[in-house]
Amino acid sequence: MNKIENDKEENTNPLREMFSTFFKSYSAVTGFLILILITVMGFLGPLIYPTDPFDMVWMPFSPPGNDGFLLGTDYLGRDMLAQIINGARVSIAIGFSAALVSCFIGVGMGSFAGFYGGWIEEILMRITEFFQVLPTLLFAMVIVALFGSSVLSITLAIGAVSWAGVARITRAEFLRIKELDFVLASRASGSSNLSLIFLVILPNAAAPIIVQSALLVGAAITFEAGLAFLGLSDPNVVSWGQVIGSNRTYILDATYTVTFPGIAIFITVLAISLVGDGLNDALNPKLRSR
Amino acid sequence: MKKHFFKILLISFSLVLTSLSSSFAEDPKRGGTLIAAVGNTPRHLNPAVQSGIVTGFPGAQLFATPIRYDNNWDPQPYLAESWEISDGGKTVKLNLVKDAVFHDGVPIKSSDVKFSLETIQKNHPFKTMFAPVISVETPDEHTAILKLSSPHPALMLAMSSQLMSIIPEHVYGDGQDPKKHPQNSVNVVGSGPFKLVEFKSGEHIILERFDDFFIDGRPYLDKMVLKIIKDPATRTIGLENGEIDFYAFENVATNIVRLKKNPNLNVTPKGYAAIGPIDWLAFNTKDGKTADVNVRRAIAYAIDRNFILKAIMLGVADEARTGIHPGSPYYEPNVETYDLNIDKANKILDDAGYAKGSDGMRFGLTVDFGWPGLKPNAEYTKAALKKIGIDVTVRPSADFPTWAKTVSNHNFDLTWDTVFNWGDPVIGVHRTYQSSNIKKGVIWSNTQQYSNPKVDAILEKAGVENDMGKRKALYSEFQKMIANDLPVYWTNTLPYHTIYSNKVGNPPMGIWATSSPMDMTYIKQ
Amino acid sequence: MTLLYSFIRRIFSMALVLLVVVILNFLMLHLAPGDIADTIAQTMGGADEQDMAQLRKEYGLDQPFFIQLFKYILRIAVLDFGHSHFYNLPVYDLIMERFPATLLLVFSAQILSLFVGISLGVFAAQNPNGLSSLFVNMFSLFGYAAPVFWTGLLLLIAFSLHIPIFPVSGMRDITIENGNFFTHFFDVLRHLFLPMITLASIFFAYYSRLCRASMLEVLGADYVRTAKAKGLPKREVLYKHALKNSLSPVITFAGLSFSAVVSGAILVETVYAWPGLGTLAFNSIISRDTPVLLGILIFSTLMVTVGNLLTDLVLRYIDPRIKI
Repeated sequence: MNKIENDKEENTNPLREMFSTFFKSYSAVTGFLILILITVMGFLGPLIYPTDPFDMVWMPFSPPGNDGFLLGTDYLGRDMLAQIINGARVSIAIGFSAALVSCFIGVGMGSFAGFYGGWIEEILMRITEFFQVLPTLLFAMVIVALFGSSVLSITLAIGAVSWAGVARITRAEFLRIKELDFVLASRASGSSNLSLIFLVILPNAAAPIIVQSALLVGAAITFEAGLAFLGLSDPNVVSWGQVIGSNRTYILDATYTVTFPGIAIFITVLAISLVGDGLNDALNPKLRSR
Repeated sequence: MKKHFFKILLISFSLVLTSLSSSFAEDPKRGGTLIAAVGNTPRHLNPAVQSGIVTGFPGAQLFATPIRYDNNWDPQPYLAESWEISDGGKTVKLNLVKDAVFHDGVPIKSSDVKFSLETIQKNHPFKTMFAPVISVETPDEHTAILKLSSPHPALMLAMSSQLMSIIPEHVYGDGQDPKKHPQNSVNVVGSGPFKLVEFKSGEHIILERFDDFFIDGRPYLDKMVLKIIKDPATRTIGLENGEIDFYAFENVATNIVRLKKNPNLNVTPKGYAAIGPIDWLAFNTKDGKTADVNVRRAIAYAIDRNFILKAIMLGVADEARTGIHPGSPYYEPNVETYDLNIDKANKILDDAGYAKGSDGMRFGLTVDFGWPGLKPNAEYTKAALKKIGIDVTVRPSADFPTWAKTVSNHNFDLTWDTVFNWGDPVIGVHRTYQSSNIKKGVIWSNTQQYSNPKVDAILEKAGVENDMGKRKALYSEFQKMIANDLPVYWTNTLPYHTIYSNKVGNPPMGIWATSSPMDMTYIKQ
Repeated sequence: MTLLYSFIRRIFSMALVLLVVVILNFLMLHLAPGDIADTIAQTMGGADEQDMAQLRKEYGLDQPFFIQLFKYILRIAVLDFGHSHFYNLPVYDLIMERFPATLLLVFSAQILSLFVGISLGVFAAQNPNGLSSLFVNMFSLFGYAAPVFWTGLLLLIAFSLHIPIFPVSGMRDITIENGNFFTHFFDVLRHLFLPMITLASIFFAYYSRLCRASMLEVLGADYVRTAKAKGLPKREVLYKHALKNSLSPVITFAGLSFSAVVSGAILVETVYAWPGLGTLAFNSIISRDTPVLLGILIFSTLMVTVGNLLTDLVLRYIDPRIKI
């Protein structure tokens, strides 16, 4: 038992190493701070600025800055600022949950494929390839159109089509790690397959998986925005993509109703990319600077 | 002295100019191509078996009807050069034009009129249009006599616009289902002023002048191109930069307001009187909480027509108080209007026994909407009814068939919808309120499941009443009754506008808008 | 002959993938509430119980699931994708009509983004920690982070309305009747410009950063150092040796990203009313025209797999060491 514990300590280093390198990069830290800010805005914002995004508070199309409304009002006279603040929570929640679903499926598929090899790997990888080749937006559109556009179905639809990348990375890592000494040692000392997969190998494979998942959150937020733009969103909930989609008809006369939520998405996804980049560079210091 | 002289010179100069230009404007020039935009792609181009203005625009150019209407609701000769109504309205004799031919050169005969009417009766979704027509006699090639079971004042309107397209028997009588006939979309053999060049579904419809059209010298246009552009903003940009000359049925308030300011474009609400579109909130009067008339009345008091007219419609729509369009001669404005009164609404619900819970809500309802333009109304409903303690969930449906199925199977509480009057109340109004028209599975029937025997009786009487004065009185009483029962809460007319550039002459501004032949439209050169 | 063998293997797995798509979609449609008969009924204006039963019989919906599935697969095999009940045309014809437009858009966008991405990558690789590198990074990130439909809408307003250089929608100006080939060619190009740029903008980031990273790795390699030491001009070193060898990860990614490009194309087509498969798919969703949707899904999957195959061939050409 001792030996395993020692090895474990030795092998959580990649993760710790990664994070310490991460915090040395300016762009990565900037991204991280922006993300924290947005999350705080999403969760504390409604407490500080309690206007209900669904309430009609003024005349429609009041330009930004007029009458005390920083970002103006939309086509029903609803407060744009309230919509952006509340939208943060929903967009991030959907993005995060969808990424989680993808991660779950992807790690599951990739770990079993990489660990067992043989025909299990063959089948699982075929399935993965299939989902890689599928036009994701189209497929998600069909699912949502058929099964309804509630927050749940949208999250599941996005999660169900976006996991192929995670699966591939997981498998690659597993293939690499499973022949390493400490794994062989664990196996020799009688650990079950499942505990090997989840307790021994997976923590060591975590780094690139985390990076990929982080990027997935950004992709999921964009995905949801795309679906909302096409009209496939839940009208009882405010998300940034929904705001863009609903206001699209008025883009000529009230462009700001489309610009602001677009900027919100842009900043969020940008921040996530910077963080992802930072994590990636921290993982592969060889490529970071020359 | 000099001051006055110049003034007079200026005035006379401008007078001469105006008279010159107006005389130029009065002379339609032959030739030119009209580029029009349409918002949706038609399923096919045969209005005899398909309803809707989307089919109506190309359909009315490809096919002619016995009668056409001018701007004053007066019937004018078209394929029928004259007509006689006798026997208390139960016999209608049509004398057809002698030299009219179809696009393939075959003459148009009374047997085609008989065939067309029978095809429409069997296939067109509007069953009340020609229901009383028992038979069509054809004593000679240019005479058709319609025999009816009872007087039918709606008949004249039903024989115009896109409602009675005359289709060739020698094409459609080949045994195939006329609804799926291949020549509904390609090689269309029509009877109208334009013939089909190309129909690319989702992209464009190209029409060109039919040289052997029976009205000499018409149509003036060489060609009409209908570009299918779904996005309202794209259409607006196209109109503003001159790519598009003409767009009818514009109803997005912000576009209307914006385009009105453009000096190169004309924006007019004229031409839609017979279309008669009304936006309304429909209730399920048999199932759920909305079966209680108190709930319906409370909701009506909570929804502010003025907000919808001012804020959502930006002042370009008119108020609608009943199920008959304000542009119709039968409109009765003196009915209960349920003006905004939150306190009264709350009191009605309290008195009816719907107490508020700890969260301030009494009960929940769902609201649907029939097309994306009504989404703001649905969202407004959610906010408005929150004030009287009703928790509204907006139910989206990505597609029309799903919504239609939900509503026609009575699986709804509230739904916003836009429904057309189609000229005569018998054609477009009766269907919503007659208990005999509660047909599960059929959209735009009496989906509210509304049943009032008094209303049924009045509608039956008004449907066959030939005397205008008596008919008006009957419909007035009808409108008062339904405003009281509130199976539907009417808010506004859908503000259809036609937008056309300065080089378009004689755009269709009669009662049927683009669902009428545009043979008199021309391009100012 | 191993090349032929692996090629055949690829074709076989492509067919398998398509089969799975068909089955999966059919299953989904079957599980979803409502069926084709409902849709047809509503499109026609409504039908009562009797008519519905009749419709169901007509479309074979009263038969057990597996028989329906089997029949569908057989029909697909002979390229009978069914009939669109909204457009009243065979699905195959509809798809074939729209397919070239989407192909044009996707292909030109992919080429543009590869070209721009690689150029930016090379540029950044020459000065990896400098300001220009940062600028390139930011520029390409913009395209990636901004939602593609948002970029499209803003570009549309900017260059079609405010500065009217480009047409507002569609693929061509149908009023041009008597043009020769070049008139039509430039007309399409004019219409293609904005959608192409919009779609390409998503991928600048990927390609430029991949190229930069790959180039940096190659530039540090021994044979490059040798070439430099030999005194070869910098340009020759850069392009002839380094670039050629650093292209494989970029091309590989291009192949993998085909499905993302198709997805992006749907959104771009909707913004610009580009008459391709994307607008067709969107319209079919609005009218619940399921035969068309199924057909598009199958077809776009086919497009992506063929795209992958082509990419692999290009890769093999660039770097013969790679196995298909």
